[in-house]
Amino acid sequence: MAGVNESAAPSPGEASVALDGVGKTYAGDGDGDPVRALDDVSFSVADGEFVCLVGPSGCGKTTLFRIVAGLTEATDGRVLLDGTRVTEPTTDMGVVFQEYHLFPWLTVAENVGFGLERSDRSPAEREARVDEMLDLVGLTEFRDAYPKSLSGGMKQRVAIARALAVDPALLLMDEPFGAVDAQTREMLQRELLDVWASTGKTVLFVTHDVAEAVTLADRIVVMAAEPGRVREVVDVDVERPRERGDAAFAEYVGRVRELIGADP
Amino acid sequence: MATETGPRVGGDGGAFASVGLGDRRRLLRGAAGIAGFLVVWHAASLTQDPFVLPSPVAVGGAFVGELASGDMTTALRQSVRHWVPGTIAGTGLGVAAGVAFGWSRLLDDLTAPLVRTLRPVPPLALIGFAIAWFGINDWGAAFIIAVGAFWINFYASYGAVEGVSDDLLDVGRTLGVRGDLDAVRSIVLPASMPGIMTGIRTGLGRCWMLVVASEIFGVPGVGREIIRASNNLRVDRAIAYILVLSLMFLIVDVAFRAVERRVLVWRA
Repeated sequence: MAGVNESAAPSPGEASVALDGVGKTYAGDGDGDPVRALDDVSFSVADGEFVCLVGPSGCGKTTLFRIVAGLTEATDGRVLLDGTRVTEPTTDMGVVFQEYHLFPWLTVAENVGFGLERSDRSPAEREARVDEMLDLVGLTEFRDAYPKSLSGGMKQRVAIARALAVDPALLLMDEPFGAVDAQTREMLQRELLDVWASTGKTVLFVTHDVAEAVTLADRIVVMAAEPGRVREVVDVDVERPRERGDAAFAEYVGRVRELIGADP
Repeated sequence: MATETGPRVGGDGGAFASVGLGDRRRLLRGAAGIAGFLVVWHAASLTQDPFVLPSPVAVGGAFVGELASGDMTTALRQSVRHWVPGTIAGTGLGVAAGVAFGWSRLLDDLTAPLVRTLRPVPPLALIGFAIAWFGINDWGAAFIIAVGAFWINFYASYGAVEGVSDDLLDVGRTLGVRGDLDAVRSIVLPASMPGIMTGIRTGLGRCWMLVVASEIFGVPGVGREIIRASNNLRVDRAIAYILVLSLMFLIVDVAFRAVERRVLVWRA
């Protein structure tokens, strides 16, 4: 596995995020045996790169996401963000969850500005930044609306704007488009690629949707389950925008599906 | 919205016509219910002595008489003098303790046995302490009221804080929320506000009920008048003063609901 990683991974110097032998063991309930959720997960994401993490259910994708975000502690190994070890959540990482988790008591603009309140920006700078983010995700006219009146796709745009507002080095997303309908999902994918292109952020994107990964990623980290580990890292060598009808697209989807479905 | 251009009659025209009609129907039905109740009450009172069941007319007379003499407003003013501090203190401390113990595992573990011991004690059982610590005065009565308000708000706030989603706290941490104070102020309090508000509202009503209990040991007020009237078999007067409590409850409840709607404007 190490060989596969090295062939596709950038040199450590330009890595934005590096996972180094990350493992997680959960103590069993009562007298149950401990459960090895993740084992020796190593890969890195280069500065400005878009990497998707796919795998079968139960492969520990969400656990790995939480470890990278600093929300869950790894049992072994470490996560480095720009060379600094991640031990707790940091505003250098913008995190987007599947279920949006907007603050329902705050308006759209206040949600987007939440992280900025804790930065050293002046109120005027904060407001300008909120406006800029709302413009980026096309929600300027909803700035004073409460989340309850937004559709799922709009909520996720707010969540993305909120995560990007503090200008993090990395955008970390856990199945962010899993809760919206197929049409909205494709629109959000296009928008995310636009945002990525215009901001140059590094993105680590967790999904179970192989076509989504092939649409978005520069590289796809394919995981295997029990215990969760890296099976292979696939370079997606297709020009963007990628068309689902293309032969190359279908080939990548087939290859990744095969890797996910393959026996250990 | 074609109806918007149509003529409006009072506030019932346009798009809200159906809502207004529904409200009016409810009001009419409510009035009919009260009227029916008064008729039954009156019929029943004809078969009983007035010290057992006075007629609604007698109660109305007593109400007007007490109001005209100024006794009713005096009693109400006296009750308000301990209802206000008792309610404020009990609500404030209850919410603060509920939020703190609901949030902090350490505080919760430390106080759980004590809380479970004190919880079943009815405020009325604490009258001895009220007299010993504060005396037969507004403060003693306020203490009884505060105890009742405390527990309602404590449990409502505690439950609301326990129910705050871990996901929102995670999001907060990724956006730079650090430490208990920041988390409580920026996430826990606003997220649990609906539950806290429900507790405050329930407590406000309960405090009017506790006014009677708090005046049982001799502090003057509406409750004292009810007890005195009952002791003198003046049931009409007792009911007149009970109506005062109901009215106060109603006024405070309507006012608080208006506040609640403003505070929780973000809710669906």
